[in-house]
Amino acid sequence: MSLDGDTEKAPATWTRKDLLGLEELSREEILHLLDTARGFSEISTRSIKKAPALRGKVVLNLFMEPSTRTKSSFSLAAQRLSADLVDIIKEASSAVKGESLVDTGKNLQAMGVDIVILRHQQAGAPHLLARSLDASVINAGDGTHEHPTQGLLDIFTMREKFGDLAGKKVALVGDITHSRVARSNIWGLRKLGVEVGVIGPRTLIPGAFKDLGVNIHYHLDEVVGHYDVFNILRIQMERQRKGLFPSVREYHHLYGIDHQRLSRMKPDVMIMHPGPINRGVEISHEVADGKNSVILQQVSNGLAVRMAALFLTQSAREVRAT
Amino acid sequence: MDAILIQGGHVVDPANGLDGEADVLVVEDKIAAVGKLSEADVRNQHKGLNRLEILPARGLLVTPGLIDMRVHVGEPGRDAEETIASAALTALHGGFTTIAVMPDTDPPLDNVAGALFVQRQGERAGYAHVMPVCAFTRGRAGEELTDIGQLVEAGAVAFSDEQRATDTPATLLRGMSYVSMFGKALIEVSQDLSIAGGVMNAGYESALAGLPAVPAVAEEMMVARACMFARETGCHYHAALLSTRNAVRALKRARKLRVKVTGEVCAHHLALTDKRVRQRYDTNLKVFPPLRTQDDIAWLKRGLMEGVIDCISSGHRGVAPQDKELEFGVAPFGAVGLETALAVAMTNLPDLPRSRLIATLTCNPARVLGLSSRKGALTPGFDGDVALIDPKETWTVTPQTLHSQRKNSPLLGEQLTGRARAVITRGKVFALGTALATR
Repeated sequence: MSLDGDTEKAPATWTRKDLLGLEELSREEILHLLDTARGFSEISTRSIKKAPALRGKVVLNLFMEPSTRTKSSFSLAAQRLSADLVDIIKEASSAVKGESLVDTGKNLQAMGVDIVILRHQQAGAPHLLARSLDASVINAGDGTHEHPTQGLLDIFTMREKFGDLAGKKVALVGDITHSRVARSNIWGLRKLGVEVGVIGPRTLIPGAFKDLGVNIHYHLDEVVGHYDVFNILRIQMERQRKGLFPSVREYHHLYGIDHQRLSRMKPDVMIMHPGPINRGVEISHEVADGKNSVILQQVSNGLAVRMAALFLTQSAREVRAT
Repeated sequence: MDAILIQGGHVVDPANGLDGEADVLVVEDKIAAVGKLSEADVRNQHKGLNRLEILPARGLLVTPGLIDMRVHVGEPGRDAEETIASAALTALHGGFTTIAVMPDTDPPLDNVAGALFVQRQGERAGYAHVMPVCAFTRGRAGEELTDIGQLVEAGAVAFSDEQRATDTPATLLRGMSYVSMFGKALIEVSQDLSIAGGVMNAGYESALAGLPAVPAVAEEMMVARACMFARETGCHYHAALLSTRNAVRALKRARKLRVKVTGEVCAHHLALTDKRVRQRYDTNLKVFPPLRTQDDIAWLKRGLMEGVIDCISSGHRGVAPQDKELEFGVAPFGAVGLETALAVAMTNLPDLPRSRLIATLTCNPARVLGLSSRKGALTPGFDGDVALIDPKETWTVTPQTLHSQRKNSPLLGEQLTGRARAVITRGKVFALGTALATR
């Protein structure tokens, strides 16, 4: 496959016009996307960081929730593939005038948008949009459901270090109930044969996750030595206000990853965080910036994964159209 | 004097213990006779007949006109969703000749004028009979009691504050105590909203869908509470919208203690589960209480088999397409069901004896609503409401096969067996087909 030309189609292993979640992807599709991303990561190392794969295509960032990292990452990914880019944030969208999501999508499609990147506070919003539009829809986070490109970039980062992940052990720490990152990680990692654990207060872990074959732990200290990767999730202060955990101090005491806990982990343990970080709450300053942390690599890898997502969904849409 | 003779059908009239071939004679909007009736006999016995219409019914079930005790209309206040007239017409298509409408209108049915308005709109429409269930607190706010005695005189068939459990236990206790004086049922939608604030059933599917959930215990808790209050006050508590295993069990315990409780399930809760919600985030599946699990369905069926659940209703609520074409968390709850309730029951309850199934749609709701001296049975002198049902017709639910103004059915695409072919009410035969015609 030539990444620099737009003449060649993606291989038949990717046929989806949309990327809505990791749940519906097969192991092969996930690996195919990650392999494509690896090819794209090389572009970012060039002095001229541009490839023509999406030249003439229009990518729309439709962000109905605040985001810095994901939105810039998608913007740069689209620009590196030479697409035209339109950015819409909630405050500037017709949603504030009462227009429905579907109507907004159809209007923008009528202006020739090929790919809609949707961040939305409601679970299932990208699914609604995807079945209403011919354009590709990429889920950039829907409520507390999924955040597939984050899941993929996390897995991409783990594979950079560990290669094949089968048999590896990955823990997600924090507010699992309200985390779309956790759900996407769980789906993706389970499909690749990873042992997955979730760690956090019982009020923030859905008990039903055990039916997915996920280990559930309420006491971090009992399992610090067990996992190869700790993916630390952001704790949102609003959960404390709703009474789901008693106080930030108690949370940090029970679940904060600090130097002490790090010292009892495996020596080559990988510490991840999807950001934005609450330093001193779920992760201490020195761990976030320490040698086990791959937090900034995650961000760099996000770009490659998103280029792959844009490229593959668009290729599939064109195959479909012919 | 006009008469209608329904000949050769299979009569299922549970209140009178009839389940066999018989003819039914309706004279002037009243049931006149059931049995072996020839045209000549009828003409002999009813001398002044102007017109005798013969309705051949071979191969059809002939039942009392069905009674749907849970219909939400948008009138007054949100007529664009559904008017009383359009709901009453849609009801006929589903085999229902009587519907009870819920008080969650705008303004709510909490006053005599509202109760009379609903009945007048029903009479003006001239389709199914429309009866009001009235709020038992003003504004459905759960504080002051409405003028319950006067509402009874104005035609209220039951009382309910609708779509939520009463926040303050003291209000419910007082309301039940007061309502009991008039022998009416207090219907409570038993969901504690401080727990049940979500949009889909709490469990495996909601955990994966990432949608806020409605735990089953929120229902069980409020059913148990109302059962206790029924025991204390002697008020008839009717548990509506049962959807969970443990709520059925709570009701069963009260029943064993001979507390005056009855139960009701909406047809869609017998047919669909939360699994489907996550597949597409289809807002037509967004109903309250939410669709539950196969285990819950098994218990609802068991409740019907054991007679703990007495009634099946539609829970019909029309929602405009622009309101349903929204994100799942944002779209309003509600599903149309008048035209599918009978077929869903017939399709999903193969083990329930047929006469008992028909009872859940006729004499049982009549009893709960205090109508059993004139409706829900083919007793001579009763209102001449009859349904003719084809038990074998298999049909697919599509926007085209539904006649309702709104098409927000959670069953779109489903194949069902059983369909009303005609209804008789107000002295008229409504033949049901692709277009409803009055003959």
